[in-house]
Amino acid sequence: MLIAKLRFAARRVLLAAPTLLVIVVLNFGLLQLAPGDAADVLAGEAGAATPEYMVQLRQKFGLDQPVYVRLAKYVGNIASFDLGFSFRHNQPVAQLILARLGPTLLLMVSVLLLAVGAGVLLGALAARHLNRWQDNVISLVAVLTYATPVFWAGLMLIVVFSVKLGWFPTSGMEAVAAFHTGWTRIADIAHHLVLPAVTLTLFYLALYTRLMRASIIEQSTMDYVTTARAKGLNERQVLLWHLLRNACLPVLTMAGVQAGALLGGAVVVETVFAWPGLGLLAYDSLFARDLNLLLGIFFVSACLVVAVNLAVDMLYALLDPRIELR
Amino acid sequence: MRVARRTALGVLSAVPLLCAVPAYVVAQGTPQAGGTLVMVVQPEPPTLASYQSTSGPIGQVATKVYEGLLEYDFELKPQPGLARSWSVSADGKTITFMLQEGVKFHDGKPFTSEDVKFTILDVLKKTHPRGLNTFRAVETIDTPNPLTAVFRLSEPAPYMLMALSGYESPMLPKHVFGTGDIAKHPSADRPVGTGPFRFVEWQKGQFMRFDRNPDYWKKGRPYLERIVARFIADGSTRAAALETQEAHIAGFSAVLPVDVRRLEKMPHIAITTRGYEMQSPIVELDFNTKAKPFDDAKVRQAVAYAVDRKFVIDNVWFGFGRPATGPINSNFKATGLYTSDVTNYNVPNGVDVANKLLDDAGYARGAGGVRFEIVHDVTPYGEEWRRFGEYVQQQLAKIGIKATLRYEDVPTWLRRVYTNYDYQLTNNWIQTLADPVIGVHRLYHSKLIRAGTVFVNGTRWSTPETDSLMDRASVETDAKKRATLYHEFQKRVVQESPIVFVHELDFVTVHSKRLQGFLVSPLGIYANFDQAWLQK
Amino acid sequence: MSEIFRRFARNRPALVGVGVLLAVAALALLAPALYPQSPFEMVGKPFEPPLASTLLGTDQLGRDVTAAVAHGARVTLLIGLVATFIAILLGATLGGIAGYFGGWVDTLLMRLTEIFQTIPFFLFAILLVAVLTPSVGSVVFAIAVVSWPPMARLVRSEFLSMRNREFVQACVGMGMGHWRIILRHILPNSLSAIIVTGSLMVATAILIESGLSFLGLTDPNVMSWGFIIGSGRTVLPTAWWVIVMPGIAILLTVMAINLVGEGLNDALNPRLRHL
Repeated sequence: MLIAKLRFAARRVLLAAPTLLVIVVLNFGLLQLAPGDAADVLAGEAGAATPEYMVQLRQKFGLDQPVYVRLAKYVGNIASFDLGFSFRHNQPVAQLILARLGPTLLLMVSVLLLAVGAGVLLGALAARHLNRWQDNVISLVAVLTYATPVFWAGLMLIVVFSVKLGWFPTSGMEAVAAFHTGWTRIADIAHHLVLPAVTLTLFYLALYTRLMRASIIEQSTMDYVTTARAKGLNERQVLLWHLLRNACLPVLTMAGVQAGALLGGAVVVETVFAWPGLGLLAYDSLFARDLNLLLGIFFVSACLVVAVNLAVDMLYALLDPRIELR
Repeated sequence: MRVARRTALGVLSAVPLLCAVPAYVVAQGTPQAGGTLVMVVQPEPPTLASYQSTSGPIGQVATKVYEGLLEYDFELKPQPGLARSWSVSADGKTITFMLQEGVKFHDGKPFTSEDVKFTILDVLKKTHPRGLNTFRAVETIDTPNPLTAVFRLSEPAPYMLMALSGYESPMLPKHVFGTGDIAKHPSADRPVGTGPFRFVEWQKGQFMRFDRNPDYWKKGRPYLERIVARFIADGSTRAAALETQEAHIAGFSAVLPVDVRRLEKMPHIAITTRGYEMQSPIVELDFNTKAKPFDDAKVRQAVAYAVDRKFVIDNVWFGFGRPATGPINSNFKATGLYTSDVTNYNVPNGVDVANKLLDDAGYARGAGGVRFEIVHDVTPYGEEWRRFGEYVQQQLAKIGIKATLRYEDVPTWLRRVYTNYDYQLTNNWIQTLADPVIGVHRLYHSKLIRAGTVFVNGTRWSTPETDSLMDRASVETDAKKRATLYHEFQKRVVQESPIVFVHELDFVTVHSKRLQGFLVSPLGIYANFDQAWLQK
Repeated sequence: MSEIFRRFARNRPALVGVGVLLAVAALALLAPALYPQSPFEMVGKPFEPPLASTLLGTDQLGRDVTAAVAHGARVTLLIGLVATFIAILLGATLGGIAGYFGGWVDTLLMRLTEIFQTIPFFLFAILLVAVLTPSVGSVVFAIAVVSWPPMARLVRSEFLSMRNREFVQACVGMGMGHWRIILRHILPNSLSAIIVTGSLMVATAILIESGLSFLGLTDPNVMSWGFIIGSGRTVLPTAWWVIVMPGIAILLTVMAINLVGEGLNDALNPRLRHL
């Protein structure tokens, strides 16, 4: 069994390589479609530039070479784990991404844990008291939080909890002027994490709550539930020992999908709260035409998704033995 | 005929006289030492290499670390900086700078004339976008002793003395930047200078930190213990940071005009539009004068009449600005270069006049009252430009022009307007800087119609007469004669209207009232903050 | 069929949802009659609060927020519905085929899904709209392109687990044709998941559109709810109604869609009344 699982994993990793390549080429191609390049942006920021200066810039960035040469170079670099140099930020891309990866992961893991945890609980609660007031209230709240645009929720939370009440900071990941260390720093970061995490959790919470609820409802029509009841188990036991495990599957799938979308979804929250993550970096680099950086971010997120999908599939097979790992 | 185009600060006779220095610029009470100043800088600078990039936000931070040979007072008269005195030879081709004694770089090594020579000749002249022109005349720099630098010029260059601030021409340590490729130097983002603050760290996307330089050559300064520059992407969040006093100062309109109006009512906050006298930006509508329909001056004039400048200033920029009348900013009134004796498009019945002009020009109204259709590009530098574009779209509809708005990002827009000339009408804003030679000529001179160069003559309008006026004015030393030339120039440009002059933009600095002593020169936030202090 | 209808009718929240949606649809249809002038026209003084001279107030340029919300209903609904429809079609088809047939078909289609899913969806939407220049068409295209993968994966997982159930194995054993099995046995059982997810997707589409507008990626010539919010974002403290009103409109519409989706779900799964 273990061998089969390992073989499956190895095969998937191997299969992933061409996928990643296709992604890199596709992204590269898409970004070529956009007119204007990094030199244009830098010139625009500088407010004035002579043609000589811009030629110099293009040479420096290697932008004067034909497309296929640049692509070939880039792919070759990726193979040796060199993600290139960001001329706009004057740093190797890998370094930039690493610096911003932490905050994004922190935000998203917190959100994921909170949202899935609360979602599963609330969804189970709603399904348990189907069509009674608990169900209606939970469903209503879920829909309400889902329907609120994320940036609007964020701005409102800042206005209420930050500006008016002063309970939380308005933005950023740490109090920059204080330079805390150790536990104080962790506490400070946690303090800054609250509003952005809550803003984003509200949105994803709805998804998992409703999915869990629907999933339990669907599962409870299954034969094994009838069997369990016939065996004499009460409703609570049925829910905990049988339904939960199976009903989790669609939620797991969705969570896997969401985990893969870590970066992009956080762009808005990172913008509103100035949270120094990858989403914002990617958005900036798109408009700065910093191809190296943008491709680097896409590549890293691609690897992340492949890894997460693999994990989800294996976990899935663990929970539902009827599914073959082909 | 040399036109000193891209030098930073102007010919002597073009000095705008700034008389009244506001009361709070003179520090209230005695400066208190200590404290951390938090500045909001928008957007995040791409690099700290101010010797290589003139990108706006760089000037707000790099100037705390690097210094220049000279400083300037509010009358734009050069004051001693790293040079304690200087003298210009009779023929103007030799300038001798005597440097301050005991100046050390942040790594302890002394600042000498070798560093001046290296900075000017090997760095600024080669890689600085404006330095290429500013120091064109400098052939060599002699360094007879560590405290003397002698500039030998190929011809007189009086404008050069105005370009030696820490912002425009930062002095670099040769022992750091002399080795390695200056274009990709590892110390580019870890600057080592002589300034009142040392660079400590830069967390990309978050902040930059500068600590007090205990060995600063001006004894007793700086007062502040630390400066932190914070980068916050969202406008409302920036305002909130100032409101809650998490930040003490935000300049260059980092706080949006609408929030400024709200914040200025708060007891702990003050605003100022001073400290931008070197920029003089003008908001304008640029036409593509080489294609229909805007190749016809009457059509251009009609659009100029249709815009209600007061409405735009009050509602899009919340009152920050004055109606513009022509290519030269009214900041130059005191020097005599400015004139308002030009065609006045800012009339109450502008829409009616415009309609008549278009009728006369032969563009009759067709189906749905539309004379013709155009695409109106919007400059991608912020929300205000979109509102401005939407407003213009509505006004154009009133005179029978159906305009479709188009938003693109910076590189796309720049390419469209300044390389491909693939546009009809775009809004825009240009800094006219401290002398028309530097900021204004580039927009109207035929020699500056250069595809691929940005923020120059993108309308491709020019006439031999205006070219000649500009060329003569750039070398004219007699102030009255120069003024006459520029008056004629303004009359002609405004009449032909290749650009609609909408308003003279005011940048705003929002700051905590606890912050004193930061506004000590017309460079404003582009100065080194050695006199800034926080009231406890 | 009438049984389903009756079950739906007994669900009060769902009926409320239907009511709201009908109201929104009516608003969209009647907008040109109620507010004949373009919502871009500057009709009043800037920043008038609600109930001063207009129902919902005016914005920075003196434009009537009421007219904007009314006209915006059309655009927003159009974008949401069309984008979702394309996404569901694409996603369910690909996911179903992958889940049912398995093997190399599954692998190939899943590779395709993976390719689309490896770029963060919102970032991809931003990329597409920015590259194609913001317009209604590019926004719809972008939303559809980023929305189909989750649907495909969901349908695939449903089909995958369903395919191995006894009753399907029985059909296969009986020699029933693939499409018959899919359409008559598997699909109906997966329908509830598709409906639930699909209804959320319309809502998601509307929310993505508003998110794109917040970041400035919106058609400048067309008034959608997201556009109004985007234009009012910077003036939130001064003129809260510019954001709140269309925000409420989005909220109500999205909620209504969800309630209706829930109602459909409950109506289609009648045995689920009691656990």
